[in-house]
Amino acid sequence: MIVCVAVVGHQNNPVYIQSFTEADDALKLHHIVHCSLDVVDERVNNPKKSGPTLNETFLGLLYPTENYKVYGYLTNTKVKFILVTTDLDVRDADVRNFFRRFHSAYVDAVSNPFHVPGKKITSRTFAERVSNIVKSFGLSSAG
Amino acid sequence: MEDYPEELRTPPVALAAMVGCPELHAEVSAHLHAEQPPINTLALPDFSKISLIAKTPKEATDSGQSTGILKRDWLLKHRTRVPAVVAALFKSDHVSGDPAQWLQVCTDLENLKAVIRGRNIKLVLVVVVESTSKEDISEDRMIALRKRAEVDSKYLIVFEPKNVLEQQQSLNRLGSTFAELANIYYRDEGRKVKTRLERKSISSVELSIRYCFKVAVYAEFRRDWVEALRLYEDAYHTLRETIGTSTRLPPIQRLVEIKTVAEQLNFKISTLLLHGGKIIEAITWFKQHNDSYKKLVGAPEVNFLHWEWLSRQFLVFAELLETSSAAIESTSSPILGATDKLSEWEFSSSYYFQLAAHYLKEKRSCLELTLSMSETANDVDGNGESVAPSVYVGQFARLLEQGGTLAMQLLTDEEYVHYALAEGKRFQDSFEIIALLKRSFETFTKLNAQRMASYCGFEMAREYFAVNEFSNAKQHFDSIASLYRKEGWVTLLWEVLGYLQECSRRLGAVKDFVEYSLEMAALPVSSIGSVQSLSFKECGPAVPASLSQREIIHKEVFELVRGESGLASNEGNNDLKVTGDQPLHLEIDLVSPLRVVLLASVAFHEQIVKPGAPTLITLSLLSQLPCAVEIDQLEIQFNQSVCNFTIVNGQRPQLDATSNGQPGHRVETAPALMLSTNKWLRLTYDIKSDQSGKLECISVIARLGPYFTICCRAESPASMNDLPLWKFEDRVETLPTKDPGLAFSGQKATQIEELEPQVDLKLGASGPALVGESFVLPVTISAKGHAVHSGELKINLVDTRGGGLLSPREVEPSFTDNPYVELLCVSGLECEDDSQTGTDDIRKIQHSFGLISVPFLNDGDSWSCKLEIRWHRPKPVLLYVSLGYSPHSSELSAQKIHVHKSLEIEGKNAVVFSHQCMLPFRRDPLLLSKIKTGQDSDQVLSLPLNETSILIVSAKNSTELPLQLLAIFIELDDNDIGKSCTVRHGGEDHSDLALLMPGEEFKKVFSVIPEVNIPKLKMGTVCLRWRRDTGPEGQPSSSATASEVLTKYRLPDINVELSPLVVNLECPPQAILGNPFTYFVRIQNQTHLLQEIKFSLADSQSFVLSGPHNDMIFVLPKSEQILGYKLVPLASGSQQLPRVTVTSVRYSAGYQPPVSATTIFVFPSKPHFEMANMGMSRESIATE
Repeated sequence: MIVCVAVVGHQNNPVYIQSFTEADDALKLHHIVHCSLDVVDERVNNPKKSGPTLNETFLGLLYPTENYKVYGYLTNTKVKFILVTTDLDVRDADVRNFFRRFHSAYVDAVSNPFHVPGKKITSRTFAERVSNIVKSFGLSSAG
Repeated sequence: MEDYPEELRTPPVALAAMVGCPELHAEVSAHLHAEQPPINTLALPDFSKISLIAKTPKEATDSGQSTGILKRDWLLKHRTRVPAVVAALFKSDHVSGDPAQWLQVCTDLENLKAVIRGRNIKLVLVVVVESTSKEDISEDRMIALRKRAEVDSKYLIVFEPKNVLEQQQSLNRLGSTFAELANIYYRDEGRKVKTRLERKSISSVELSIRYCFKVAVYAEFRRDWVEALRLYEDAYHTLRETIGTSTRLPPIQRLVEIKTVAEQLNFKISTLLLHGGKIIEAITWFKQHNDSYKKLVGAPEVNFLHWEWLSRQFLVFAELLETSSAAIESTSSPILGATDKLSEWEFSSSYYFQLAAHYLKEKRSCLELTLSMSETANDVDGNGESVAPSVYVGQFARLLEQGGTLAMQLLTDEEYVHYALAEGKRFQDSFEIIALLKRSFETFTKLNAQRMASYCGFEMAREYFAVNEFSNAKQHFDSIASLYRKEGWVTLLWEVLGYLQECSRRLGAVKDFVEYSLEMAALPVSSIGSVQSLSFKECGPAVPASLSQREIIHKEVFELVRGESGLASNEGNNDLKVTGDQPLHLEIDLVSPLRVVLLASVAFHEQIVKPGAPTLITLSLLSQLPCAVEIDQLEIQFNQSVCNFTIVNGQRPQLDATSNGQPGHRVETAPALMLSTNKWLRLTYDIKSDQSGKLECISVIARLGPYFTICCRAESPASMNDLPLWKFEDRVETLPTKDPGLAFSGQKATQIEELEPQVDLKLGASGPALVGESFVLPVTISAKGHAVHSGELKINLVDTRGGGLLSPREVEPSFTDNPYVELLCVSGLECEDDSQTGTDDIRKIQHSFGLISVPFLNDGDSWSCKLEIRWHRPKPVLLYVSLGYSPHSSELSAQKIHVHKSLEIEGKNAVVFSHQCMLPFRRDPLLLSKIKTGQDSDQVLSLPLNETSILIVSAKNSTELPLQLLAIFIELDDNDIGKSCTVRHGGEDHSDLALLMPGEEFKKVFSVIPEVNIPKLKMGTVCLRWRRDTGPEGQPSSSATASEVLTKYRLPDINVELSPLVVNLECPPQAILGNPFTYFVRIQNQTHLLQEIKFSLADSQSFVLSGPHNDMIFVLPKSEQILGYKLVPLASGSQQLPRVTVTSVRYSAGYQPPVSATTIFVFPSKPHFEMANMGMSRESIATE
């Protein structure tokens, strides 16, 4: 289950962060998303080490915490998407698919002429779309 | 890792024992220990001590049943008590001594054999030879000894401690024998256990694990790491299978034992993998280990044991990784890319430290929960005392005294839980957790992972907070908060600030408390249309972030700062209050996080203002606090303190009394000073300043309540940064001023202009300056409207091409003290008050700079002075003159008014010299240098020795002014030889006083007779004295100078040489048609040699001639030969004399006189005038 998704801007500021959990660990998820930015930085600054993922937007598994797995995605405009999930067995294809859909939702949201780039996304439509994407995560593989 | 016993932490080292000859033990031990691989030694001084290594009888009985998996002391026993090899040391004189001694040796050997047989320990015999020779050892005895000991001959070693060389050899032999035998011993032992293992007839799983462990340890003794690893893994997997199947112990204790053994096995495996450089395998292994045991929490009453155990796993692995990472770092980095299963942090120890801390926290919370539940049964403490670790790893038993001997009794699970709780209570986990987090924090910081590090720092600070160490906590929270502020993580920042607020409250720091509270209240916590629905209860002292919470905080803090409520603090019982004794003052600068609380933008409406003229200033204040704030009073401060003013809130008149009642201080009253959220409060006032220069607004001090002030640094709207945090928010942004132009260009500073100068400064220019003269330039200051007080005149000479007058690029070093242009002096000739000039004139004059003081001038007065400037080279120069004065005498500090003038003056050469040397008419000395170098025209001028040559010097007026020449003469250089040459000039002096018009040339003729034969003769310097023509005598102009100038022109060096031959043509200056005249060619030989001369004469149609035509003659040394001709002119007019050609054979130099020298004028008849004898006179002519 996806517990948190986030869009992080150029100054590593949260542009959009939403958790999908009933438990009271939203703050912890914020911490996890924030910490995962270190891994993104590391991957972006040392592309040598991550070899095959050089020109790819999908950054893969960023780091495992005790209960979560964190995945990352970096758009061409250097906006970061972070996904936190509690599933221990996640297929890469699912995550990629998720990020692809999430990315298009993001593009639609920031294409709004009333949106100022770099500011927080407050669009309700975007939030709804994201929650739909999150809900459908992993369903395609199950079916 | 330090908790593990030594024998587990370090790789096994083979053990050898030595018996007998104790004096040698130290030396041998040291040698064996230094061997590679090292061997530990067990030194037994004599044979009576051998029972130490004997098998204890109890052990034999034990082996059948299995009450545990591993024995606690088994490893230690093999490391320290059971040797692989025993060396029996015998002295050679005992071996070959009398029968009694021999018998003793035999008995000792038998006893030793009996002891070691049970353990299969290998035996080495060492015979120590004390005496110097080996011969006295009887061969028979040696064989007998060997037979008796049943050892191979190579295991009998003769040891000679006396002989250095032999000793080293025997030590080496001893070492290699020991190593060999130890290897055999451990191999045999391992094999023995292994066969038992393979027989599959082992009664229990525990035993099979134990056997695997033993074989692995034996393999480790042999340094067979692969085998050791394999067997440890076998043991580990077998152990994992026993969970759930074994029923040997009560369930809680069973799990504890299994985990303890698994921990040891895991440790061994991880160590072996890491030391083998297989870092990825090690990490993967550890992950598996973690996965398979993480869920085995066990019974809820002792679940804290599980977390403690798990935490220890991570800690130990982190430490292992840390110690081995230094060695592995270089080799393993390229593999990283290949393993997509592992992420970066899993290679860093910090990750494991962090998790260790995390599980330890879990343990603490579980323990606290368990303790709180079992608190009712208050017997937790009493029972634990007699419980001790039992002989098996991971087991505990109660010690019972049974008549002097101690016996172990197994515990029930209930007893064990009591014991474990009692043990658990004894430890302070918080400090352990902080230590773990600190290590993690440090490693992450080293890895440049600042967010991870700050998360660890945050956890650490929370621990400090939990144990009431508020100052430590505050320090850590502060550093974390700055990162969150920078990156705009508002929710995280909110939480940290909540802790910080609480920390400062507990510490009693009112100022910090107010600052943190204000910052929290002004945080952009989303309000309407919030997608965040955070309702976390773990967010520490601050309740979840929300708009209403911000408002609550806002109200609380304003109640505090207005002195309406106090702050409950930890320190002491009395509340902290903001009162008159402890007023509160906050500073907000350009980088302060409190800019969101109050932002002051100040804009002058004009960038340049006339002094004394009023201009407008707009003060805009912005706050993001959730509720409106009413400001009582605003104080605006400028760099010119006279401009400071105060704005008072008209609705709060009672505060007027408290405002500083300084006389002259400007106080304005505003109808209301209400600051609402995200809305600029704009105030516009006029301001004027009399003082020229910069007028800048420094700060705005807002007074809220009687004892609370905020000093806010003023910012220019044009260069204002975005508000931190709020810049990421989607909010309405307005401009600080109504006028958008001002908002984009407004500055917090303005420039106040100087007063208009009302004084004239005139530079009297008079054409170009001439090089050498002192050029006089009058400067006139006339006051027209201002009086001149403490005036100062600055004079600067600057190269017109820019830069200083002496740009080092063009100036040769020798010219540095002698610049091109020089300011000589300034003379105040026409000063109004002569008596003052001498006294209070400040005169500073340098080559290109001058500073003089100007006396007091009343309005309408004028003053002038003259600058004298001398040019040394022709060069245009820019003259800057600037006058600084103050119009009023009273204010000494008042700024000055400046007047500037500049003038470009060209420096010109007055005269241009040239010179020319000529030989006398019809007299030609042979100059050999001319023949030799022929075409080379760059030659120095050559003059014949002792002959008179003619020098013509011409001076041309190159200016546009008439010049009056006063004198021209040649100054001879003072040669060391004395008088080397005579220069004379004729002519009358009256011709020297010539008036030279522009472009005219003046010539003067000198004769030169070189008297010394030197190659480079200095002819001297031409000196010309002149002055500017003053025009008609009657009116000497004041500006022009009448002074004389001396211009010098250095003549070039000449080459003097002695000419061997001189040819003279002698004929009258003119002839008369038909009248005969004589024509001589005189050839002088000035050498000591006979000169052979060829000559020829060409006929001329104009003359009839008698005399020799062609011949060769000899001229005797130091004498002369004359060729005489008689000529009768046949035609009148200018006629060419017959050309004579003279050739010197010796010098192969031919001479033909030039046409000019052989031309003669023939009168048709005798003219009727008296001919003056002009000859070759020297004359001075002024020609065009």
